[in-house]
Amino acid sequence: MPDLPKKKVGIVACSGEEMAEGTVTRLAALRVLEQLRPNETVTICLPLFLAGGEGDRAFARFYPTIALDGCDKRCAARGTEMYSGKPAASIVVTDVIQTNPLGTARRLSDAGKQAVDVVADQVAQKVDELLGVTWDRQHGQAQPSNSPEPLEELALNEVKGSEPKIATCSCGSGIPIQKMQVDGQEITLIALPLIFAQFHDAGKLPDRGVLTELMQTVGVYNPIPEGQEASYADAILREYRAFCQEQH
Amino acid sequence: MTKVVIVPCSGIGKSYGTVAREGAYVVTEDLRPDTTQLVPLSLLVLGDEQARTDVSGAQAITIDGCKLACATKMVAESGGTVAHDLAVLDVYRRHRDLKPQGIAELNEGGQRLAQALAEEVVSLVDALSPNPSPTGRGEPEGGQDA
Repeated sequence: MPDLPKKKVGIVACSGEEMAEGTVTRLAALRVLEQLRPNETVTICLPLFLAGGEGDRAFARFYPTIALDGCDKRCAARGTEMYSGKPAASIVVTDVIQTNPLGTARRLSDAGKQAVDVVADQVAQKVDELLGVTWDRQHGQAQPSNSPEPLEELALNEVKGSEPKIATCSCGSGIPIQKMQVDGQEITLIALPLIFAQFHDAGKLPDRGVLTELMQTVGVYNPIPEGQEASYADAILREYRAFCQEQH
Repeated sequence: MTKVVIVPCSGIGKSYGTVAREGAYVVTEDLRPDTTQLVPLSLLVLGDEQARTDVSGAQAITIDGCKLACATKMVAESGGTVAHDLAVLDVYRRHRDLKPQGIAELNEGGQRLAQALAEEVVSLVDALSPNPSPTGRGEPEGGQDA
């Protein structure tokens, strides 16, 4: 059975190549991705929001993200919000570290290396906080803790400690998306190909009987506009039928 | 004199991105500090006015770490002229013995590959500059201590 991506926290570092603080963001992000929270985090290069495809731009709609910036221009936070989705948390190195010179972008001083440790710890703490709350993928924001995320089990394929401890980079993979027509308009739905595959492999036939469950699952990852539920349902069922036919 | 703009990949998840960045530092800090200028991708993503001005008013050499070619696409998106686009993978194909490993810290092969990349970039910079005049500060150290 195909697995939908598990719930992780996305880390987007500004990586600014012209300043030491940018290097701190990159190395702190790597520290979290490789050492502190390897099973709970994933990253994407900031420019991919523009240079990549729609799947890449869906990154922050799918994962709650932590934007990690070197300066108050906040390229990572603002870029993520402009092109993908509002970050769940934002950390600016210059807000955290205000003491010794950090070295150069190319070579951090001892103070710069210490800054990496401090910032990485803060990011890891934010990761824990975000995973402790329920993330509403539909609206791209945290839900109140007494309101569980619907069908959360679909996003889980978690066996802690079973994954290799390397930085998980989303370059080129993106979030699977599918375009379809609804009321004459082209819309893009996140994770639809994986949802279809999962339903198909579970032997769920493409008829009205599966529609409620299918719509609930699609709704975890995509906002369904009010008043258009029926049109979306018809279109999604149509696409699911086509998907099932292609499998035979 | 307008400097040649060097825009490296901002990659965080692969060694080739680190090689791209380190190669750009070797060019702009060690080999051709007076005729080149590094422009960070993150500023271009945000549409920073100064970064866009720097890019649009100069010849740019982009260095990409993977086939998605973010650096090249972003410079074009920002109104710049991509005079040359280099891919680290192509440079590696020409130097198969220099296999890069590590992201936060490159291995020796990665550092030497960054140096080879930088030397290719320098030859392109010199061809673009009206009066090429090497003003390097000596042999680059080629490492990334951070």
